[in-house]
Amino acid sequence: MSNIYLQDISRGIIKENPVFRLVLGMCPTLAITALFRNGLGMGLSAAAVLICSNVVISSLRRFIPDRVRIPCYIVVIATFVTIIDMILKAFQPALYEALGVFIPLIVVNCIILGRAEAFAGKKPVLRSLFDGIGIGIGFTLSLVILSAVREIIGSGTILQETPYVAHVFGTAFEPMAVIAQPAGAFIVLGLLLALANVIFKRLNVN
Amino acid sequence: MRNILRLSLTLAVVGLVSAALLTVVNNWTAPIIAERQLQDYLRSVREFFPGAEQTRQEELEGALFDLIYDGAGNLLGVIGKNIEYKGYGGPVKYNLAVDKEGKIVGYRIVSHSETPGIGDIITRPEYQGKFTGKGPAEIDGVDTQSGATVSTSAIKGSIKRVTAAAGAAFLGMEEERFDISAVPDGIYQGTGKGLLGDIVVEVTVSGGKIAGITVLEQSETPTFFVNAYPAIPDLIVAEQKLEVDTRTGATGSAEGIVKAVRDALEKALAGGEK
Repeated sequence: MSNIYLQDISRGIIKENPVFRLVLGMCPTLAITALFRNGLGMGLSAAAVLICSNVVISSLRRFIPDRVRIPCYIVVIATFVTIIDMILKAFQPALYEALGVFIPLIVVNCIILGRAEAFAGKKPVLRSLFDGIGIGIGFTLSLVILSAVREIIGSGTILQETPYVAHVFGTAFEPMAVIAQPAGAFIVLGLLLALANVIFKRLNVN
Repeated sequence: MRNILRLSLTLAVVGLVSAALLTVVNNWTAPIIAERQLQDYLRSVREFFPGAEQTRQEELEGALFDLIYDGAGNLLGVIGKNIEYKGYGGPVKYNLAVDKEGKIVGYRIVSHSETPGIGDIITRPEYQGKFTGKGPAEIDGVDTQSGATVSTSAIKGSIKRVTAAAGAAFLGMEEERFDISAVPDGIYQGTGKGLLGDIVVEVTVSGGKIAGITVLEQSETPTFFVNAYPAIPDLIVAEQKLEVDTRTGATGSAEGIVKAVRDALEKALAGGEK
């Protein structure tokens, strides 16, 4: 019984990893991963919205008529995004400034609407919860990996903008600034996708 | 018919619940956000003026300025808030603190889109420190960072202009003005450094007034230079002063023209070439 929930979680992290397997949600993935803190903040914000919206949409799936399901999903998702937006502004203002327009844009993040449409709108509440957790972890993990690589190479630091900032190669290191810029996002994402494909092939994940 | 009713009712219920939820969260977070913004503001004021106790807001040229007072009501200085100018990558906003002597205490960038690793040098304390203690006349002496010429000369221009304007408006500083009426009639040539190279102008003075300005030589980027020429010469002739607003979209070129005109008039005063 609990096996199916474990599968729901692990599927979101590995087999259907939104960034490295499905290549969804590319806007935030490319735009806000120059710093580790921003990647982690974005991943957790999107994960929180995803888990909440999955649970609510799943519990409302019999109440919402098929013909108006998309507007209902969007309203549910937008509500949670606005709540996250207010909470970040109140308690994490620096992160709020750094993520900027990409917080309200979580509303149209195709991962979240995609899970509502493909999973939560059809499956029971508990399974939707675990699906949300799995995909949320998968998305957060992908952003964390991407932003860690970009920050270390592009800025020479890790955990910048937090009290725990460390200079990975010492302060004399001249970072490869292009990696911190938009073009660098494409380059690093492409290399990581290639690496992920090799790893997944070795592990026989399909 | 009943079907439509059910569809609209469902949407209405979802919308109402969403609105109710957002109202609750907003009522909870709004005071926290307001309090935090006020604390952030006071912290930024005390960073410049440790003794700050009271502030009074004034408006000047479309920007807001806070006059800062200590507990006894003595003026400590003035802070310009969210001053905007056009940088290399787009609009830049910053706060500028000027003490009661008209000297710069410091500035902090509020938002910018200068190139990371190059133009964003304007956000670094090492660069910001170069302005500390300088008055408007000394700002030209601050280094323009090579590689980030546009970003740094743009902020220098903006800081110089705002410091002079705020000093004149709030701190009783005399705005330094060039006395054109003392220049004898004639046609004079002068040279000033634009963004890319020297700009040579010919200035016609007649009856103690600038009658005309023509650019003879320049090597600026043509698409930018049209923003500064003939707009800036026209402005100087119309206002009969050299301290004109050079925010044109080609600030570097505009300042080059102004410098060249000043050079011509200074040479004329010194009894120089025709």
